[in-house]
Amino acid sequence: MCPSRLHRQLFLSRRASPILLSTQLVVTIWKFETGQPSKNTVKFNMEGSYGAPESVQKRFALPVDSEHKATEFRLFSVAAPHMRAFHLSWVSFFACFVSTFAAPPLLPIIRDDLDLTATDIGNAGIAAVSGAVFARVVMGTACDLVGPRLASAALILITAPAVYCTAIANSAASFLLVRFFTGFSIATFVSTQFWMSSLFSSKVVGTANGVAGGWGNLGGGATQLIMPLVFSLIQNIGATKFTAWRIAFFIPALFQTLSAYAIFFLGQDLPDGNYSQLHKSGDKHKDSFSQIFRHAVTNYRGWILALTYGYCFGVELTIDNIIAQYFYDRFNVNLHTAGIIAASFGLSNIFSRPGGGILSDIMAKRYGMRGRLWALWILQTLGGIFCILLGRVGSLSVSIAVMIIFSVFVQAACGLTFGIVPFVSRRSLGIISGMTGGGGNVGAVLTQVIFFRGSRYSTETGITLMGVMILCCTLAIMLIYFPQWGGMFCGPSSKGTTEEDYYMGEWDSAEKERGIHMASMKFSENSRSERGKKVESAPTPANGTPNTYV
Amino acid sequence: MAIQGFLVVSLLFSCLAATSYGEVTFSSLQESLIVTASPKLRQVLKAGEDNIIVSWSFNKSLAAGTDSSYKTVKLKLCYAPVSQQDRAWRKTEDHLNKDKTCQHNIVTKPYSSSNNTFTWTVERDVPTATYFIRAYVYNSADHEVAYGQTTDAHKTTNLFDVQAISGRHVSLDIASICFSAFAVVSLFGFFFLEKRKAKVSQAK
Repeated sequence: MCPSRLHRQLFLSRRASPILLSTQLVVTIWKFETGQPSKNTVKFNMEGSYGAPESVQKRFALPVDSEHKATEFRLFSVAAPHMRAFHLSWVSFFACFVSTFAAPPLLPIIRDDLDLTATDIGNAGIAAVSGAVFARVVMGTACDLVGPRLASAALILITAPAVYCTAIANSAASFLLVRFFTGFSIATFVSTQFWMSSLFSSKVVGTANGVAGGWGNLGGGATQLIMPLVFSLIQNIGATKFTAWRIAFFIPALFQTLSAYAIFFLGQDLPDGNYSQLHKSGDKHKDSFSQIFRHAVTNYRGWILALTYGYCFGVELTIDNIIAQYFYDRFNVNLHTAGIIAASFGLSNIFSRPGGGILSDIMAKRYGMRGRLWALWILQTLGGIFCILLGRVGSLSVSIAVMIIFSVFVQAACGLTFGIVPFVSRRSLGIISGMTGGGGNVGAVLTQVIFFRGSRYSTETGITLMGVMILCCTLAIMLIYFPQWGGMFCGPSSKGTTEEDYYMGEWDSAEKERGIHMASMKFSENSRSERGKKVESAPTPANGTPNTYV
Repeated sequence: MAIQGFLVVSLLFSCLAATSYGEVTFSSLQESLIVTASPKLRQVLKAGEDNIIVSWSFNKSLAAGTDSSYKTVKLKLCYAPVSQQDRAWRKTEDHLNKDKTCQHNIVTKPYSSSNNTFTWTVERDVPTATYFIRAYVYNSADHEVAYGQTTDAHKTTNLFDVQAISGRHVSLDIASICFSAFAVVSLFGFFFLEKRKAKVSQAK
């Protein structure tokens, strides 16, 4: 269990982990593969050894690997730093979702106070999700520079004023502005995933990412319950309608601010400390941004997944924006009831998004990557079908039932998408993840612009048409083809392409000579599991000459 | 065969029953009341402050027994077409239980054919919009049977405006600004603390 030699993987993607130097333990990189000694001489700690794994193990409540990443995911523990960071990150992401979607359940009141038209409301809803398109891609860089702890705390604190100022909005324009700036906060998705990947080993990182992402998205549902409740509480205390909704916005704003404080004081970037405290000495290969960027944008699979994520996650964001108003107006339920119904859409995230991730792993065990692709296509298509149905049903109870089934499929599709994303590229994983996440928000913007702005379509027609668009765009998954594993309809390439060929295609020979491709090499070996049980292992090429696969 | 016939008949019967119970349409109502209100054309009233004096009476030019089934009168504040544009939640529908034109109740009174007035202070939750006033007359089964309104059939005359309260208070404004400033200052504090921690551990 404890390796006899110190072996460290170089993570050379944008999420490269720095060489760790803590006050207690000094570790360096020993490049056994290339035989080159590290620049620094090996330093001994106070106990006169490299830092035996047992003494390291005692420092952490969870079992850890050689990089001190947790190999187990214990949901009910708050042990520092791993599980504590998990809970901090999902709670803060949840708070950001609550703030971003705090307005929709109160729209029947706000639209009267600010004299909004349907066009104004649609524009504000689009603004709320469009900010994060860009912010999600930028967040990856921020995490690299200052670490996920500071990056997420900073973003949360910068967007908190927008939530406070929602209380003083007095026109359609100011309402749009506050929703726009509040929407930036859901870029904390990227820091959540980054943080989990820094603290959890590859065995459990899928679960950690899926649960953190799903439970954060839960905020979009919980807010539909929380805000009407807070509003009626404040009304009962004595405020008029048009004042009560304004006071109500202080609750998500305070929650957001407190979560930022908690992250800053209780969180830790990496198992051994925070970015700022650690000296970055030794050989830290900072990968070239232009190379990573090039390999990300030229990989067509990243673009397809960005498109399809727009029609599962993007649709989820759109529904968060419109569903409370839909039930309030179409079925004449009161604000409170509309909120409860709308909440049940987002609340199913508690199990459906993690469930999608788990299903992806189960399918991969048996059928490999082809199984993951089929599962994603089937579930997202079913989501589209139930979306079409949702717009067509006219009775309240059937509508609620269809909506809940629709939510399960659409959120599972989100989880399934991020079961495929890690395999699209190893070198450019950070940017591909950011692109996919941003694509989700683009989908939300598109569906709201086309179907839910102004009075061109009634809301129910818009929902049906959105379902048709889901069906059409999900077909793009059929175009995804991995030469080493196959696609939905084709098996692996008859040329016998291997995982090494695919991932090594991202490095040129000069870079390979410097030996900075070794993490991708390791990853290629591990990714053989994506062949599934049926396929025999293909032959490994003798000298790893890459065939560049587009 | 007999069962199928029975099902068809019962289906038809329940449809009929539905139409006669819930589905009263506006176009089926008779305009038999004359309703007048104090606001002048396009006068702006302040919500929570200004009053409206409404008067209504039976239109004497109609036949004498027309109002025999009238039991109660409900007066409502209704949106003019200009305030319904691009706002599907205020849409006019012929079926009265789906109609959203009149969303604010003024008063409910038992029916009497003349000398009816009521002074109403515009409530604080009335939004900024252009309005007219309509009175619905109900029979003893609580179904609409007649109406009267201050405006004409095209809802273009005698309209007035209401200016809503903004809901903002100075204390709220101050609280928002203070909390926002606090958040931004905390952020700078965080970065400062972080730099100091880094310097301290570097010095060690």
